[in-house]
Amino acid sequence: MKEIVIISGKGGTGKTSVTAALACVSRSRIMADCDVDAADLHLILQPRILSREDFYGGVKAVIDPAACVNCGQCGVICRFGAISHPNGNYEVDPLDCEGCGYCQQICPAGAISLPQQKVGQCYISDTRLDCRLVHAKLDIGADNSGKLVAKVKRDARQTAEDGQLDWVLVDGSPGIGCPVISSLSGADFVILVTEPSLSGLHDLERVWSLTRNFGIPGGCVINKADLNPGVSALIGGFLARENIALIDHIPYDEDFTRAMTQGISLVEYDPQKWQPRFARIWSHITKELT
Amino acid sequence: MKIAFTATGTSWDATIDPRFGRTDYLVFYDEDKDELTSVDNREIVNVTHGAGPKTAQLIYDHAPQILITGNGPGGNAAAILNRTQLRIYLGAGGMTLRQAYTAYKENKLPQGG
Repeated sequence: MKEIVIISGKGGTGKTSVTAALACVSRSRIMADCDVDAADLHLILQPRILSREDFYGGVKAVIDPAACVNCGQCGVICRFGAISHPNGNYEVDPLDCEGCGYCQQICPAGAISLPQQKVGQCYISDTRLDCRLVHAKLDIGADNSGKLVAKVKRDARQTAEDGQLDWVLVDGSPGIGCPVISSLSGADFVILVTEPSLSGLHDLERVWSLTRNFGIPGGCVINKADLNPGVSALIGGFLARENIALIDHIPYDEDFTRAMTQGISLVEYDPQKWQPRFARIWSHITKELT
Repeated sequence: MKIAFTATGTSWDATIDPRFGRTDYLVFYDEDKDELTSVDNREIVNVTHGAGPKTAQLIYDHAPQILITGNGPGGNAAAILNRTQLRIYLGAGGMTLRQAYTAYKENKLPQGG
């Protein structure tokens, strides 16, 4: 079983469109949506949930009013301004609290606890394609984390092992932070989806420095490649210098938007046009891995 | 020489966990004593952020000279480990500990960090 992660650095380059199209042209695979902050693979794959599990994220401070001695030290040291006393009692605003635990350390009365927060749910689902999807939904105000990504990937790998599947396709999140590091961890190949804008190139360089550090081989898809031939050429030069395979450059095409609006993949939207293209991309990737 | 492995189990037949921060176990092999010991790191699933630095701390506490792993530590963990004398060997993901140790002895693992 091999794990392929699709990331972009910059958001909005067409990462999920590429992921969904690859889901259509591949077989013996399971999909995992690790872009939990803005999960959208489910819009296309239309999952029927088979199992669900509550997910617990970081901790938040809670003050026990019965034990509190109203000294106010917690309010003074809180770096996030999360502690106030609107009604004569010190209270923690859960939206502002970062769960650092400093207040608990200094509270002379031992009135502050740090319970784990339920931040959402993880799901394993059947989809309208013949593959399963592991995904998650966060509650309002909760954020994605390395922990949640690790959980989604672990469930996906387990499901793939149980079903003797060959591929785990992971839709990663933008950026280079903790969730992205966690999505790269243990991956066999990385598909970088970028676009010819300066921020597309810049974020590609940043996310590649992370990927390279992990020693994971990568290939790049330049989407909307004809919109800015100058920057496209810069991206091409970067890929050559870094020994990253250029898998495809796709011209700007409004089919991306049209397919997404209809909740289907490009391959389903116009099979004649897109099926051969993504089949070629998929075979390029699988060849790199065998 | 004391050698650390990131692993999915605790014996020579366990496979190398390619992940650093979120590895299930750290296994230590003391060549002088010919002794295999391990630390259960599975509690790390409860860590929301900063798994890498936490595991780096664990490595630091056990003071091995060599680390054999898969993808290698991320930026924050690497910044900590680079302050130590630890030498890091990568690319052992999926091998058994025994295979990885042999590959290291035969200079077949790329050095990272």
